Amino acid sequence: MSKSSQVAVQKVVQKRRVWTGARSVAEAVKLADVDVIAAYPIRPYTGIMNALATMIAGGDFYAEYLVCDSEHSQFEVVKHASAVGARTFVGSSGTGLIYGSEAVIVTALGQLPVVGIVGCRSLDDPGNFGMEWNDAFLFRDVGWLMAWSKDPQEALEMTLIAYRIAEDSRVLLPHFVALDGAAITHIASPVTPPTKEQVTKFLPPYKPLHPLDPAYEVVSKAMHIAPSLIGPEQRKSLDAAMKRAKNIVIPEVWKAWGNMFGRDCSPFFEETQMEDADYAILSMGAYSRNVDYVVEKMRNSGIKVGSLRLKYLRPFPTEELARALDGVKGVGVVDFSYSLGSPGNGSVLYNEVRAALYESKQRPLIMDYIFAGGREMTLPELENSIQALIESVKKGSVDKPVRWVTVRGEDE
Amino acid sequence: MNDEAKLISKLTEIPEEDYYVSGHRTCAGCGPALGYRLVLKAAGPNTIVLGPTGCMYVANGHQFLSSPYAVPWYHTQLGAGGPAGIGTAAALRALMFKGKRKREDVNVVVYGGDGGMSDIGLSGLSMGLTYDYPHLLYLIYDNESYANTGVQASSTTPFGASTTFTPSGKIKPIGNERLKKDMALIAAAHPSIGYVATASVSHPVDLVNKVRKALFSGRPSLVQLLTPCPKGWAFPPEETIELGQMAVKTGIWALWEYENGHFRITSKPTARKNIREYVMKQGRFSHLWRNEAALEYLQLSVDEQWRYWEEMDKIGKIILPWTPSYNRE
Amino acid sequence: MVSPELEELTWLAVHGRGVINTAHSSQIALTLSNAGVAAGRDAFYYMRYDDSPERVQLPFIYYAVFGNPRIRVILPEEVEPVGSVFDTVAVLDSSLIVKSTSQRALLLDGAKRNAALVVNTSLKPSVILKLVRKYGCAQDWEGRIITLRAKKYNQNIALGMIGAITKAMEPLYSIDDVIESMVEVEGKTDSVDAVRSAYEEADSLKVSLKAEDCEQYNLKSSVGEVKSSMGTKRWWDREAYMILKERVANAPTYEQRIKSMPRWEEIAPALIEFGPRVSERNIGFKTSFARTFRPVIDKNKCIDCKLCYVFCPDGAIDFDPIKVNYEYCKGCGICARMCGSKAISMPHELKALEGLDEEEFLSIREALIEYAY
Repeated sequence: MSKSSQVAVQKVVQKRRVWTGARSVAEAVKLADVDVIAAYPIRPYTGIMNALATMIAGGDFYAEYLVCDSEHSQFEVVKHASAVGARTFVGSSGTGLIYGSEAVIVTALGQLPVVGIVGCRSLDDPGNFGMEWNDAFLFRDVGWLMAWSKDPQEALEMTLIAYRIAEDSRVLLPHFVALDGAAITHIASPVTPPTKEQVTKFLPPYKPLHPLDPAYEVVSKAMHIAPSLIGPEQRKSLDAAMKRAKNIVIPEVWKAWGNMFGRDCSPFFEETQMEDADYAILSMGAYSRNVDYVVEKMRNSGIKVGSLRLKYLRPFPTEELARALDGVKGVGVVDFSYSLGSPGNGSVLYNEVRAALYESKQRPLIMDYIFAGGREMTLPELENSIQALIESVKKGSVDKPVRWVTVRGEDE
Repeated sequence: MNDEAKLISKLTEIPEEDYYVSGHRTCAGCGPALGYRLVLKAAGPNTIVLGPTGCMYVANGHQFLSSPYAVPWYHTQLGAGGPAGIGTAAALRALMFKGKRKREDVNVVVYGGDGGMSDIGLSGLSMGLTYDYPHLLYLIYDNESYANTGVQASSTTPFGASTTFTPSGKIKPIGNERLKKDMALIAAAHPSIGYVATASVSHPVDLVNKVRKALFSGRPSLVQLLTPCPKGWAFPPEETIELGQMAVKTGIWALWEYENGHFRITSKPTARKNIREYVMKQGRFSHLWRNEAALEYLQLSVDEQWRYWEEMDKIGKIILPWTPSYNRE
Repeated sequence: MVSPELEELTWLAVHGRGVINTAHSSQIALTLSNAGVAAGRDAFYYMRYDDSPERVQLPFIYYAVFGNPRIRVILPEEVEPVGSVFDTVAVLDSSLIVKSTSQRALLLDGAKRNAALVVNTSLKPSVILKLVRKYGCAQDWEGRIITLRAKKYNQNIALGMIGAITKAMEPLYSIDDVIESMVEVEGKTDSVDAVRSAYEEADSLKVSLKAEDCEQYNLKSSVGEVKSSMGTKRWWDREAYMILKERVANAPTYEQRIKSMPRWEEIAPALIEFGPRVSERNIGFKTSFARTFRPVIDKNKCIDCKLCYVFCPDGAIDFDPIKVNYEYCKGCGICARMCGSKAISMPHELKALEGLDEEEFLSIREALIEYAY
């Protein structure tokens, strides 16, 4: 088929909608033919579950939809449903995610390929609907894959991609897709969903190796063990699964997705104007769009700055980061988190980046732009932060690497 | 999918097949282990079992390459018995409805301890009981404590029992001062419940029948199973069954069932034995052996409670039980 | 080959039955530790973590370790010490001398060549030696056996044992050190007579035993490098798992069991193991080492009522014909109590195995009710 006729076919088949991130993810869940959904309300992710309930009640698709008594039960329900062989969906935000944390962690250590949404929200106390990444970050050590979407379109796509990666027998790890609270969950923007045919081609059915089901081999899962007999071995096999995800499966699956839509889909980073950049601004999620905008503005006045959007926090793309920062003299990390008392009193993503670059030949100066407490980013603040980076690079050192950008008062 | 519960009338009709086989690190004389054996015999091979953390998790593993479960089995968290059962049942239904798995009756049994199911897991258990998945049984093995962590009090520990969190001492001579929470009555209060019962490992035919009725009740069900515990209750392991029998004979453990809204006592002791015959056999009550006031109170409370059980049996409905008046002297 | 950091320490290993002897062992360990401290040494004591939670009848080991004079390393919790580290092995229940070798190390595994064995028993040291040579030893042993009937000195058998163990542990600390610390530190003035008498009256026998003379010796020969039977499979499935399970279950010693354990590459993901077939007993955990007494069914009296079969918590009685499987019986005694025709007796293990009349055992009621609470 000629290229022009391919484009024509796409235009007819795909409809553009204006959807919130919540609605977009619900569409992905429907397209993925999820079997079991566990719901519990908490802002700002709840919209997804509301949308799914409406779709199921109206007959758009069928899944078992359980209204649970808490987030702890929510994550337990999908963990067990996944063990039997059901494709599952779950999600939470902020303090709710923390309430369920026992169940969240056990899901990863027990290797169930659950796909969950984190609608990133500030942790209590106090109650705060603002956006912070700490809720998701609390689980960064235990085996969940974690990716940040930048808009409703990507939220939809990442959800579908997550199923294929998580359920791959070389991985079998659960996968969070993070939607920045309010910015992505609640703002509607144009979305072009894939068709059912495309998704069916892309996403094979979920076939666990050993389902918990008397129709298959009798399985005993997660027996209590004595670590002198087995213990490190199980952790090591998780480590191997995470490495396979990073090195083999994630690139493979994103490539397959890209091929399907004639796009170049880099799995770990979205790079804008990075080729000859002296300065780079690293960010994740929705606010990377602000970074892109400011970067473009600064480029127009001759500053060689680039925008580097990180898609995966876990597995962290260490080598790819070093490559992306080749030639860069200074990197500023936009970080919607805090890590009280951490090295340098920095924030989580900042410390991850520093650790990633420690052994790298490329060791640009690094600055931490902390956007804590859920307050939104303004463009002038971002511009000022980048100016500080430029000045530091000119000076050859950073006087004050960690900046609480949005706080009112002395940043000491 | 139209089978009915196969009920038995005598001991020799208990199935020979074992789905919880020999070879586990349980105490000699372990009541919960016997419970596991009998419950899984009753449930049969087409069963998925969920095991919340507790004695029946740790003692049945604790090594490696050492499973005694001849049916599919999965651990779950201490407070997750409720969602574990529901999630498993939901997956089965979804897969069957979508044609991803053949349609048939598959039992789901959550075999959880009293600590996990009545305290930390109460919320999730209650959620489970509000749903309509069939062939789902929540089986509480009640050894009246958190036994695995070294015998600590739970809200199903009886009044006067010594545990490591409620030891008897000069200032607090009674030991556990709280009254035992009745999980079976709590389950029965759920509006759409189909079957609830109490059972004892000392009454195996009754237990097998109740498990089967529960699994065929068409909705999530609950059986609270008395499982005497030699370690936790401090008695010689050879007396496990006799103690269960004595619990029933004294009336401190009532055997009843609640089926489709109808209540009945299933084993009525003709003349209830004095509570001392039960209490004197257990070291966990040794600090009460010479405490006449406490022993009389215990007898009084059992007597009062039986007025209610008998009334309920007569009218076939559940009415809320007594609240005692206990005077501190 | 002993780990050098453990070599310089003085170890006592107290073997007891779960729940029944817990209070005794901890008291023995505590009192002797106090004495060790009084003698100017570091003294640590603990139950082997892997033995907890204690289960009724299941064996546990309590360690009391004395520094030379300091203890500078973390002591092993879960793995029995590799090499010879125990100076004294104490046994609170003589049936512990007999152990199934498929699950546990032998009684004297880990004992030094000149170790002392202290046993609470009514049997003579020479009889104990015969038992040890048959069931509990697979190494050269030039030590001694000390025996006593601890209950004779006090219902609390810890007191008699403290006295007898002190006889074995001298000159690390003396009986006077022990008595002094019992009085000064623990305020247990009433108990010292029992301790001193036991110390003075315990029977002692020098031992010279060659490894080749021990029945268990041949079983300990090296298995060599264990090969994986995974073939071309990446992760285990039921077949590969069961082969591995059998190999591990049948490993004759603890060391070989560890060696037979799988590599991480072989483990199926998602914590998947495989269960036994219906009614097929679990070879991964046999429990014959849990018995002080064993049920013996008199077939002439048996009326085949099946009560013993139904009520066995361990399913250790075969259904048809009714027969006890001693690999899985824990000797709880429920079957004998519930028997419909009083056909089951509960002789002591040593009586059933060797025709010996062991009269020193603690009734479980005494142990639990007097000392558990």
